[in-house]
Amino acid sequence: MKKICAVMVIFAMSLVAMPVLAITEKQEAAIVDRCEIIRDGLKEVQKNDARARVHLGGRYESILSKFIMPLNMRLVENNLPSADLVENQNSFAETKTLFVNDYINYQQELEELVAMDCKNEPNDFYEKLVKVRQKRKTMQQDVLKLRTLITNQIKIVIGIKGKA
Amino acid sequence: MQDKTNEKNEKKWIRHGSRNLILLGVGASLLAIIATSISLAIYHNSGDIYLDRSRPGFLPDEVEAQAEEDEKDEDYSFPKNGKLTAEDLDEYLEKIDVEVRAIDSYDDPFGAGALSDEKLGIPKAENK
Repeated sequence: MKKICAVMVIFAMSLVAMPVLAITEKQEAAIVDRCEIIRDGLKEVQKNDARARVHLGGRYESILSKFIMPLNMRLVENNLPSADLVENQNSFAETKTLFVNDYINYQQELEELVAMDCKNEPNDFYEKLVKVRQKRKTMQQDVLKLRTLITNQIKIVIGIKGKA
Repeated sequence: MQDKTNEKNEKKWIRHGSRNLILLGVGASLLAIIATSISLAIYHNSGDIYLDRSRPGFLPDEVEAQAEEDEKDEDYSFPKNGKLTAEDLDEYLEKIDVEVRAIDSYDDPFGAGALSDEKLGIPKAENK
């Protein structure tokens, strides 16, 4: 039984390690033909992402330092500490840090993708593109998680207000 | 005897003055290049380069700069001290809503669409 499990785990791991997609000849030709246009598009994505990071990062910082933390301090001062709000603050701070770190990782991969020779190495280029997409997805998940935590914060505050 | 030796050494320094000056210049330049290279490597490897929008090509445009200025004018922070009333919490919810709306105004941040095959002009893989 143990052997079967081990074989299944090894098989699953080999599937994960395999390249995600082998590109078709049509895709390869398109990457070679449109190499410069694709790279210009990626550079534009880089710029838009930098804008989004600054815009959202600033708002997250503002929400944490001007709303979440001061309210917890004030609740403690009024002898009304809320465990839910403290937990929410910790999760928010943690995810905000993750947002910055994931952004750096994503941009490093994206920069490497932009620097790649898509004319001569279209397969490697596409493989890297798939990796960058995964990193971008992580960013999107961070953004969604932070938004959920903000919604939680508002819900908890409405609850406290109801009791006040 | 000692005076003569000192005088000799002094003359030697004067004679090689221009050479020493060049050596000093080259040394200082090398030191500056090494220090700058190390700083740039740290700046790049730490990832700070990706967070810095003051680098060429990533500077905020006029509209963004104006929006940032406007935001500075509307600076608000929930007071850390004082008695907590329902009115305070009302104000809190009202002000945090401004931030939430600003976040929501950003359409699909880091969405998959920007790097999709379609957007980049790569044909989709045909299913066999």
